[in-house]
Amino acid sequence: MLKFTNTFRDGIGFDTVLVVMALGYLVVFSAYPLAYNLLMSFQSVDLFTLTSFDRPFVGLDNYREVLSRPETAMIFWNTVKFVGLSVLAQLCVGFALALFFQLDFPAATWLRGLFLAGWIMPALVVGAVWSWVLAGDFGVLNHMLRQIGVIRENIFWLSDPDVALYSVIIANIWLGVPFNMILLSVGLAGIPKDVYEAASMDGAGRVQQFFTITLPMMRAQLGAVISLGVIFTLQQFDLFAALTQGGPSNASNVFQYWSWQLAFQNYEIGLGSVVSVLMIGFVIAVAFIYVRSTRYEQES
Amino acid sequence: MTCQISLDRINKYYGAYHALRDVSLQIDQGQFVALVGPSGCGKSTLLRTIAGLEGITDGTITIAGEDVTHLAPRARDLAMVFQSYALYPHMTVRRNLTYSMRLKRRTRAEIDHAVTEITRITGLEGLLERYPRELSGGQRQRVAMGRAIIRDPKAFLFDEPLSNLDAALRVHMRAEIRKLHNRLGATSVYVTHDQIEAMTMADHVVVLRAGRVEQQGAPLDLYDRPVNRFVAGFIGSPAMNFIPATVTPDGGHVSLELPGQPVLRFGGRRPAGEAVMVGLRPEHLQTGPSPDAANRLTLPVAMIERTGAQSYVVCDTVPEVMVSAPVRVEDTDEIVLGIDPAQLHLFAPDEAGLRLDI
Repeated sequence: MLKFTNTFRDGIGFDTVLVVMALGYLVVFSAYPLAYNLLMSFQSVDLFTLTSFDRPFVGLDNYREVLSRPETAMIFWNTVKFVGLSVLAQLCVGFALALFFQLDFPAATWLRGLFLAGWIMPALVVGAVWSWVLAGDFGVLNHMLRQIGVIRENIFWLSDPDVALYSVIIANIWLGVPFNMILLSVGLAGIPKDVYEAASMDGAGRVQQFFTITLPMMRAQLGAVISLGVIFTLQQFDLFAALTQGGPSNASNVFQYWSWQLAFQNYEIGLGSVVSVLMIGFVIAVAFIYVRSTRYEQES
Repeated sequence: MTCQISLDRINKYYGAYHALRDVSLQIDQGQFVALVGPSGCGKSTLLRTIAGLEGITDGTITIAGEDVTHLAPRARDLAMVFQSYALYPHMTVRRNLTYSMRLKRRTRAEIDHAVTEITRITGLEGLLERYPRELSGGQRQRVAMGRAIIRDPKAFLFDEPLSNLDAALRVHMRAEIRKLHNRLGATSVYVTHDQIEAMTMADHVVVLRAGRVEQQGAPLDLYDRPVNRFVAGFIGSPAMNFIPATVTPDGGHVSLELPGQPVLRFGGRRPAGEAVMVGLRPEHLQTGPSPDAANRLTLPVAMIERTGAQSYVVCDTVPEVMVSAPVRVEDTDEIVLGIDPAQLHLFAPDEAGLRLDI
């Protein structure tokens, strides 16, 4: 018995347990669902066969079906707009705030802490708050815009097909800014002050310092923030659920929400799987870029 | 010789803390000036105010006849070598060197020409495409120097540039910086806490304490005639011995407060009975035959350290007396020391410790 405990503690036993635990977690909660999802995308699945593996294979029929649907193109472009605009705006606002809080002024740290409020709130709650703000008839936003004379008529932010998607994007930008700001603040704090001093002695003004020192030295952080931003934005589900449910008539629908609608509202489970498989492919590509950019960081 | 940098009654406060007090300084074209003092004395702050990296509360800074007190660092045309080197980590050595020229949009030919010149001067051949993280400490130091030289500035500012190097390299770079200074005919201001660096490199040494200039002048003047006990103790290594004493009734001798009350002649006159502090440099306590046989001290020995060329004898007295002899001192219980009256300094025994005229 003692011999066994010793082997366990000093030999490879303990190491094996640690590895198996980590791998086991990944297999059960990540690899298995992914594989199961991939499998379902090639099968005809209905509610009765959901729990059995014995389902008819339909080859690429599900893929053909998804790609030939009339709403697919619209939802694809919605997704591109949602991800592109969200990430771009989150990055710009987050970077600007990070630079702003880099300045030494009273209560800077305290105010920066306040920005985290958005980050620690559940996205569903954020969605509920924004749905009040954006409400067409009694919303705060409409009231403010009317007061300062920008609009005469109320805009129905959540039910007007022309603006519904942008309403969700605005809420999502608000939600993602703190994360961008904190990550970029850390990067900015890592640039030594004397490098800026050397640059100012060498004749660089503020703007030149930003483009020749700050931006290139933030390359790794920017790469990480952009790729994580893309991944987080592709996962953004709660805001759609809380604000527009993808409507009206798919005007604000995106792949991640559509996938859920197909699988769990229409019970076209195979089709829902196809959409998520397509998204997994894209996320893997982005994750690859993220890993590359953090590797660069470790080397330097 | 024209005046290149002139500081007129510089004062600087950090909140209530008075960091620089009425500092005035004239630095001539081509001069090598060292700012030296213990840590926290304001020497780096003073250098950074010259650079423009720190503002001043009061006073005037003039560079080459132009009042730059309120100009930004980039408008002052000075180059600085930082203690940490502050190289641009994301740029190769070549791009580090040419950063200032690229900002000024100089032509490709001009830049290439300058790089060739600088690599020859600093010995950076073959390292141009490396990144700072791939260089040794000494090489980084050279890049930092090269980045300053390529600017051809009105003056060079050095902020303890050698303190991150090992001892051997430090001595080597010391000589190299001084050679470079002579060759470029540049004006240099050099901050160090190491008085040996200041003494060996500079034409003009400024000793600072608590934001105030204690004394400035040629290195050997500071060594020979320190104006107060602080400068006397700071310049010279090992530090000067201070022994409380009283002037004897004849006014030409001092009676030391050491066992046996030894009496030494100091070759001048002071009021009888005056309390003084006698300053004796360890290297001026002669273990061999003394020119003045009457002027001698016999002290008990606590310890002898021999470094080969020098022997350091620590005497068993209060205050401790240190002797630095250029000979090998044999083990002994007592040592006889001869003193040249001309090498005996007298200071006031109070806090300020001003030099007393003999």
